[in-house]
Amino acid sequence: MVRFETLIELHHDELYFYLRRMTHGSTSDAADLMQETWLRAWQAFDRLRPGSNPRAWLYRIATNCALNALRNGQREFPWQEERELPDEGRLPHEQLEHRENLEMVLKEIGLLPPRQRAAVLLRYGHELRYPELASVLRCSEESARANVSLGVRRLRRELEEK
Amino acid sequence: MNGNAGATGVAQSRERVRDWFARTAPLIEWSEMDSPLGVLYLAQSGAGLCRLTFGGTEDDFRALLPSRAKSRRNPDALGDARKQLDAYFGGSQVRFRLPVDLGEMTCFQQRVLRRASAIPAGELRSYGELARDVGSPRASRAVGQALGRNPVPIVVPCHRVVGSDGKLTGYSGARGIESKRWLLRFEGAPLGEAPHG
Repeated sequence: MVRFETLIELHHDELYFYLRRMTHGSTSDAADLMQETWLRAWQAFDRLRPGSNPRAWLYRIATNCALNALRNGQREFPWQEERELPDEGRLPHEQLEHRENLEMVLKEIGLLPPRQRAAVLLRYGHELRYPELASVLRCSEESARANVSLGVRRLRRELEEK
Repeated sequence: MNGNAGATGVAQSRERVRDWFARTAPLIEWSEMDSPLGVLYLAQSGAGLCRLTFGGTEDDFRALLPSRAKSRRNPDALGDARKQLDAYFGGSQVRFRLPVDLGEMTCFQQRVLRRASAIPAGELRSYGELARDVGSPRASRAVGQALGRNPVPIVVPCHRVVGSDGKLTGYSGARGIESKRWLLRFEGAPLGEAPHG
């Protein structure tokens, strides 16, 4: 059986970045949702079956927290500039261009409807496979694919217009 | 938690989650010591010694700690346990006097292990005898399963329980029957003889 503290060490950071993208780059909202995610995971930990996929399980909890917050309109999630974008191995002017491009893409992802946003981020940002994605979004694999595909199409259209 | 933390946002969140976990989760302290059976890993909860393993790696040992617990290596912890184990492996006929945490076991399993703790070094009991001792004379198999789940071998000497014909039928510790035989020889038990008690 996986240990809870191991889950924190292995998955905190990736979940945090996911929640931050879901909340338009807001560090404070991501941190609050992160707390809520771990609290819910702690309460449900006994129901995590041995041999199941704890990473997908955690993403499902995080996604529920984020979608609930967005649905309830508790938070407005104004767009905030990303400051933790990876720059490895790039020259300063390339870094700038890379950041600007990435910033633009992330901003557009942030404008997708919440489920499509989650689907695109999880598939391409966090490399979840479709069966995992279906389990996170609590839908069929077909529906998970449809959410990703709709999101990507919309993203492409918006970016082409810019 | 402020919203303009920028590059430290993830680090701050990580620390916040770790702090919360340290306040929420039960603490398990662990330590290791050398022995003739290799490195022994020992862990204790607030209630007592909760895990002892040997013959495996540190990762193997940590994977066995209670899944909700926060574990912390503390070389100064478990002094009593290490002292008594040192005396045992030094040849003293130690009767371990340590609080043991069997909280993850059923009441029946706890009864079996407590009863097994009373078997003196150098003596053997059969599964059937132990089943009778705990008031379930037909439950030899369940007794065997309870002993197989013993989280603190050596300290709870499940190795002193053998088949009714004296056969060494199984051992949950590392290297199985080989370790059981080593422990029984070391204690001077009458190997190969039918147990009596």
